[in-house]
Amino acid sequence: MKSHLIALVAALAFAGAAFAQTTLNVVTAGDQNMVDYVNNYLAPKFEAANPGVKVRAVGTGPGDSGSQKIYEKLSAQQKAGTADWDVDVAVIHQLASATMVNEKLLMPYRNDISTGKLVSRDTAKNALGANVDGYVMPMFHSQIVFAYNPELVKSPPRSFAELTDWVKKNPKQFGYNGVKGGMSGVGFVTGWVSAYSGIGDKLEKGPFDASSGPAIDKALAGLKDFNQYVVMTPGNAGTLDMLNRGEIAMGPVWVDMFYTWQADGRMSPKMKLALPSPGLPGQPMYYVIPAKAAHAQLAKKFIELAESPEVQADGIIKQFNWYPGIDPQYVQPKLDQTAWNKLFTDVSPQDLARYGRPFPLSPYFKEIVEGYERVVLK
Amino acid sequence: MNGQTSAPRWHGLALAAPALTVVGVFFIAPLAMSAVVAFRDKAGGFTLEHFSKAFDLYTTDLLFTLAIVLLSTVLIGVLAIAIAGYLTLGENPRAVALLRWLYRWPLFIPFVVAGQVMRTFLAKNGMLNHVLIGTGLIEPLSAQSLLDWRGIVVAFVWKQAPFVTLLLAGAMASLESQHIEAARNLGARRVRVLLDIVLPQVRGTLLVGLVLSFVTMLSVLSVPLMINPNSPTMVTVDVAYRINTFADYAVANALCLLSLLLAAGGAWFYLRHAASKAVT
Repeated sequence: MKSHLIALVAALAFAGAAFAQTTLNVVTAGDQNMVDYVNNYLAPKFEAANPGVKVRAVGTGPGDSGSQKIYEKLSAQQKAGTADWDVDVAVIHQLASATMVNEKLLMPYRNDISTGKLVSRDTAKNALGANVDGYVMPMFHSQIVFAYNPELVKSPPRSFAELTDWVKKNPKQFGYNGVKGGMSGVGFVTGWVSAYSGIGDKLEKGPFDASSGPAIDKALAGLKDFNQYVVMTPGNAGTLDMLNRGEIAMGPVWVDMFYTWQADGRMSPKMKLALPSPGLPGQPMYYVIPAKAAHAQLAKKFIELAESPEVQADGIIKQFNWYPGIDPQYVQPKLDQTAWNKLFTDVSPQDLARYGRPFPLSPYFKEIVEGYERVVLK
Repeated sequence: MNGQTSAPRWHGLALAAPALTVVGVFFIAPLAMSAVVAFRDKAGGFTLEHFSKAFDLYTTDLLFTLAIVLLSTVLIGVLAIAIAGYLTLGENPRAVALLRWLYRWPLFIPFVVAGQVMRTFLAKNGMLNHVLIGTGLIEPLSAQSLLDWRGIVVAFVWKQAPFVTLLLAGAMASLESQHIEAARNLGARRVRVLLDIVLPQVRGTLLVGLVLSFVTMLSVLSVPLMINPNSPTMVTVDVAYRINTFADYAVANALCLLSLLLAAGGAWFYLRHAASKAVT
């Protein structure tokens, strides 16, 4: 009896092995929703199309530190001279992608996949000033925008200059979360500096020039004056909360958070969005393939699927309210009108292309947020 | 007795070794490393630059932290004396039982939850203002958000007062009741009894409870982060910010050492009291 059991177990194990010979390891930075997206949405689709493949997603945590962990893992395998690295697909932030391309930890793949030519935004080539052309595909874009209450604000400011006038006429009606309470506040500050320092392009494209300090400080001094007329909110969610409770009339928010809150009924459906000139920052997350990924061919197929207009329409836009990683014109035909309107009514694809800016290069970024503490807070 | 004293010295050391190791590895060593990083420049030499940066950017926050925590400690003391006093001297058994049941609740609520609760409770259009406006106590236009230093103080007092009350009420309950009865017989009012008879006898317990609360509040990150992470804010938020945004462990460690100095003030009080108690 016992030997029968063992034989049965062994047979099952072999059968299992025959069906799932290959495990595709997907490692993703970001919140738990990224892992859920891969496990619950992408993996079943990919496994159905590729019998014998099992997709396993692991998360490394939110923010740049999540990407940093992926970098450290790959870097260790490179230094150890390992032949097959155990990460097949990684999802990382911009900052890490620059380092990883630079240290030859990634393989170029965009031209090898059919959906590679569907990307149009500059972020597919340039990550915070570093050339990553060919090595990355944006999984999605997220964008910081102004959310406002149309009952209190009839026509939202169309530029930072108009905003400055507006807050003086409507004191304590604009709220943002400073630099210590999350990225929507940080993005507002870098957007402000881009608008008022006169070196907006240089902040995004480089090269880094240490003598830009006075221009940045001058813009920040203006922000200190501006801050007298605004409310400081406790965090990204704090801005949304205060807007929803009617305590502020306008503030910078992440567009995907805004729509997710509306979908969950945590945000009044009346609230609207606006993207002012010369723009606010946003950022993509990238799909990348490590230089010595054990299953590079499968990894390419996986990303090909993930960047297909169908998946971008249904998964990225409809389920997660992110902007698509590929050009929206390829995604629109795959979406019903309501879903498309929901995402693009307030901020048109044209506005997004014109005013959706990257974050400043990392040395400038550090200079701006630290300058905020030195100039604005003291 | 004799057997114990004649046992070799290393027996005692061996017994204390696990505890000492834990303290050494998980407390002393990280503390020493933190101190080293705070004083080390990029080349590995000695520097005070991290401290000068910490003072340059965060002096306001250091003072703000001290002020908030001191104010909270005082308010906690007043509240704890009032509650513990009523529990000891109260004459309405129902009210005493109700208060005894109610006051401990915040003890079981983590700081992060307290912060979250206060965030919706104290907001401009939050529950507190709704109640005040509904009862006609304030005009809707004069409603203001308490999500600044006041919110932090409210959260701290709400969370820590029960802890001190618990210690204090225990100490008061163990007092000889004759003193109280004698004073009452001679016509002293209850407040008088509380302040002149009861409180002096439990002063030590009150002090210990307040010092422990002081040190605990110094180290709380969640409450200021949720209620008021903007300037001025508490040092814990700045430490988290230096690490998360700049990976700047040096200035973060400098700030940690500075808040350690503040906590050391509390520890000094505590030890002085504990030592004097050991002598008497």
